[in-house]
Amino acid sequence: MKRLSSLKRRLRAGVWLAMVAGAIYAGSLVLAAAADPKAEKETKPEGATQGEKKTAKKAAKKKLTGAELYAINCARCHPERYATEFTAAQWKTVMLEMRVRANLPADQSKAILKYLQEDSGTP
Amino acid sequence: MKILTQLCGIWAAGCVAGFALTPRAGAAVTDEEFNALKKAVQQLGEKVQKLEQVHDQDQQTHQQDQQEIQRLKEQLGETQKTATNAQQKAEAAALVQPVRPMPGEGNATHNFTMVGDAEIQFGKTDGQHSGFALADFAPIFLYRARDDVLFEAGFDIKLQNNAPNSSGATTTFDMSFAQLDYLLNNYVTFVGGDMLLPLGTYTERSAGWLNKIPDDPLPRGVLPSSGVGAQLRGAVPVGESGQTLTYSVFGVNGPSSVDGSGNAFTADGSPNLDLGGNVGFDSNGNSIGNLHGSPSGGGRIGWFYPLKAHYDLELGISGQSGTWDNDGNELWTAGVVDAALHVSPYFELKGEYIYTWQQTTDMGTVHPRGWWVQGGYKLAGLNADLPLINNLEVVLRYDTAHDGLGTKVDRWTVGYVYYFSNTLLFEGDYEFVNSNDPTQNNNRFVFQVGYGF
Repeated sequence: MKRLSSLKRRLRAGVWLAMVAGAIYAGSLVLAAAADPKAEKETKPEGATQGEKKTAKKAAKKKLTGAELYAINCARCHPERYATEFTAAQWKTVMLEMRVRANLPADQSKAILKYLQEDSGTP
Repeated sequence: MKILTQLCGIWAAGCVAGFALTPRAGAAVTDEEFNALKKAVQQLGEKVQKLEQVHDQDQQTHQQDQQEIQRLKEQLGETQKTATNAQQKAEAAALVQPVRPMPGEGNATHNFTMVGDAEIQFGKTDGQHSGFALADFAPIFLYRARDDVLFEAGFDIKLQNNAPNSSGATTTFDMSFAQLDYLLNNYVTFVGGDMLLPLGTYTERSAGWLNKIPDDPLPRGVLPSSGVGAQLRGAVPVGESGQTLTYSVFGVNGPSSVDGSGNAFTADGSPNLDLGGNVGFDSNGNSIGNLHGSPSGGGRIGWFYPLKAHYDLELGISGQSGTWDNDGNELWTAGVVDAALHVSPYFELKGEYIYTWQQTTDMGTVHPRGWWVQGGYKLAGLNADLPLINNLEVVLRYDTAHDGLGTKVDRWTVGYVYYFSNTLLFEGDYEFVNSNDPTQNNNRFVFQVGYGF
């Protein structure tokens, strides 16, 4: 009876974890579809008003640059690392690790990588 | 007959020419004319010689070109042969291997990089002699197989004095973590292997040379630092200001019991809970499975709010729960609240509150717990225009831990970090320790040179 109870507990824990993982993945697919710029372009009415265009332009203008995102994200955990400390190829690897380790959003991580690669001065 | 006629014709023509030219050859030639003619003949001879030399060079070049063309032809043949072989192999592989290749780019983009840190410590604890107490080399190997696949493994090679009243020193070689990271999409990353656990942020983002004080906060001792299992994690940006919501969900084997029972202590009186012990199989080969079979699940949700660069707040809540004894009856659960604040490039405040629930067979539920808070201020913020001061950061930490079994330790730490560069640090601190356990009630100072690479 004790063994059965233990088995149920294990099963419950496993099922719960699997359900959470499934829900996260499904949610991410929805988010990815919603954030797809192609989809956005398709749904956008061709005759957008001047006001809408201005709002979109303002939003695009406000978008943080790779240098700004680097300053916001990187120095909060470690001393500043300079772009010339690694090659462009090494930065790609290091930023992949940092994206996972520090849970950086994909777009921000890519923008920071671009900034570091451009300034690294090496291929 | 025809040839004879031709020969007679040539002979006749020769006689006519000889007859006609004889009077000219016999004409008088002056010395000047003769010298001019001689000079012209000499010049013509030199020109002919030069032309012959150029011709020889051209011939050599031509021969070299021919050889090069031949070599290139041979290379082309080899390349074509290789391509044909590869195509044949690919076709053969496609026939026997129905599994499709991973989606994404086909080009090899792999890269191997090593990062990490190294430290040397000099210290003195009350009642002991001072000395170089620790040498630590902690490389992290990163292998990027593709743009979305990374293998990372961290090791810790440490030379450390043995415990007081015992001889010698010990060299240890530990694997801190070894994990596979696979970016499923922009919002989810799969992590598998021996992973650093997102219980708070200290283990993932502050340990080693990143910590501004040479040793870990005391309450981190009531949590596992890594676990064997799988994890999904990612981040969702909120707006365009850099604000981010982060999450991590993991399932790992979880902590285990030293003697297998659910008792709080082992027979020799040491704590029975083994936070990092359950990795699956026994080394003796007798056990063919997880020590208790039940997965331990957990996760973290975090919110990062930057006002602008160097002005930000991060809050997080995390936890883990699962059974720990071999029968899988006793539950171990942990909850962590973490926070970090940056005000200007100079001031930082961070800390964690940690509480755990450990069910035991003999003592009911015990609560190992504690909290720590650490502040740092870079003196460059004073604008003193003194290089020595500008490179200095003063640090203050308070940490406290209760093992849930009667032992409590409080500690105040004052210290500094001197930045020789962004990666070479010289740290020092003095720790005021207060505990109800006399063996732990010792103040100490530590100096550390750390290098991050």
